[in-house]
Amino acid sequence: MGASNKESRRFNEDSMEEDDLEDVSEPESEPESESEDEEDVKLTEPSKKAIFNRDGLLDKLGDISWPENAGWVHKLSVDIDQEQQVDVNDDLTRELAFYTQALEGTRKAFEKLQSMGLPFLRPEDYYAEMVKTDSHMERVKSRLLVEKKKIEEADERRKAREAKKLSKEIQAQKLKERAKQKKEDIESVKKWRKQRQQSGFAGGDKGSELDLAFEDGKPFEKSSNKRPGVAPGDRSGGKARQGVKVGKKPKKRDIKDSKFGYGGRKGSKKQNMAETTNDLRGFNKDSLSGNKKRKR
Amino acid sequence: MGKKRKHSEAEAAILEKKEEEVAPERPKRTLSGWKEKKDDQANQTESTTFFRNKEKVLVTCSRRISYRYRHLMLNVVDLLPHCKKDNKVESKSSNGATLNELVELKSCSSCMFFECRKGKDLYLWMSKCPNGPSVKFLVNAVHTMEELKLTGNHLKGSRPILTFSSNFDKDAHWKLLKEMITQIFGIPKEHRKSKPYHDHVFVFSIVDDHIWFRNYQISVPHNESDKIARGGLDKMTLVEVGPRFCLNPIKIFGGSFGGPTLYENPFYISPNQIRALEKKKKAGHYVKKVKAKTRRKMHELDNPLEADEFSEMWKE
Repeated sequence: MGASNKESRRFNEDSMEEDDLEDVSEPESEPESESEDEEDVKLTEPSKKAIFNRDGLLDKLGDISWPENAGWVHKLSVDIDQEQQVDVNDDLTRELAFYTQALEGTRKAFEKLQSMGLPFLRPEDYYAEMVKTDSHMERVKSRLLVEKKKIEEADERRKAREAKKLSKEIQAQKLKERAKQKKEDIESVKKWRKQRQQSGFAGGDKGSELDLAFEDGKPFEKSSNKRPGVAPGDRSGGKARQGVKVGKKPKKRDIKDSKFGYGGRKGSKKQNMAETTNDLRGFNKDSLSGNKKRKR
Repeated sequence: MGKKRKHSEAEAAILEKKEEEVAPERPKRTLSGWKEKKDDQANQTESTTFFRNKEKVLVTCSRRISYRYRHLMLNVVDLLPHCKKDNKVESKSSNGATLNELVELKSCSSCMFFECRKGKDLYLWMSKCPNGPSVKFLVNAVHTMEELKLTGNHLKGSRPILTFSSNFDKDAHWKLLKEMITQIFGIPKEHRKSKPYHDHVFVFSIVDDHIWFRNYQISVPHNESDKIARGGLDKMTLVEVGPRFCLNPIKIFGGSFGGPTLYENPFYISPNQIRALEKKKKAGHYVKKVKAKTRRKMHELDNPLEADEFSEMWKE
């Protein structure tokens, strides 16, 4: 016992170690798996050999830059302050940062253009070639529509599911309430009867029943006239039919039916299920033991 | 063909000259909006008559470029009406001289060269051609304009508004890159293929030492584009048009496609190295397993199990 315990503990330790190793290796491999914005791995600290020739860079900048008086209209560039550092791996905030930058930029640019009296957006009636073709835009539109439809359908399905669930619950509650009501009614009648008996009324049970019957009134008289469940043209008064029913199904048939089943599909009875397959009662045990011997 | 082009170029030159001569009168014959502030406009043009942006960008790619990157290049061509697209260049011969020659042949002043290596890594060269600096970027996170989730659209050839995040002014190399980007991506004013309206914005933003590029359409709700001056500005929204990409600067050279290195990204690891590392890690897996096995064996040998006192209990 002790040995096996030790063994198992050791095994656990080993597996733990392996887990740790995997944990270590995972975060490194993660960026590769993220194919959407495949971020490259960076050196953790800057390499010292890297060249950085500031004067040369500034020199070149001076060489290529446009003359000072070139005017903003030629550049159309706007600088926007980024309020805070953006986390690269958080797609949403990153895109939002870009969006706000663009929006602010356009506002600023618009004001400048407005002050210069230059046109900004194209007028409604200005038609010209667009970057994306009409057929492409058609596809974009159709995709949007399909997506919208999908969402709606999913919504509908979910709603239906919920409604079904709710209706089931309500139904269950109703049934419960009905049962409760019935119980209460019976209880109250019993109580009433008991009280009646206890109060020592001489008439006893008979009197009470009579009272009940009279309270109801009509069922008492009507029942004598007409028997329930008898067809108007039936001369035997319903007795013939009852007789036939009982007589046609002898006891033996009943027993056989209960043993072998009656009606319904045959296929489901003949199929194997998990229990039946595992049930090996029908097989010879001796042969199994013989097998064992043979193995040895 | 050659003759024709020469002819057209000559024509263009003449046109340009004419435009320069006529420039001060230009506002009169353009849209009504200009007329109100005629004198202001005139001042503006007077001060800038001697500066004219004649930027022309050559856009090419290397051979064996993958379709996605080729589409990206075509998108760039769509966005820049002042560019000339040229045939693919043999990747091996993409040393500076041939490319410089090509650019000169096409009489361009700058060049964007999409270089695809191993069918998976895209490098983008931007260079100012006769003797300006050149930059080599690694391009990441490419989304082309064809993607259906980018729903915007804008005029072809309308001049974009370029927005830069403020951290472009932080360091010398960023400043240089900013200048190069404004020159290459900014469409020259009154370029013959450009349109006089502004309906899209480019975003250049430095996040995590990478330059992220986005292109948005400016959209204003219908019937309000004329009212934009009066409060319509608040209702302005942007719709992304694409493409998207992310540039990781690797090196800046003094000359065009070569020359002395002015800047080197200290954090850069080439994708080849990354892949090699990955492979190494995978290779280490088996070695680790074997090591663990031997260690376990040694451990078992070192401290053998005590004999179980109950082991003979049931034998009898």
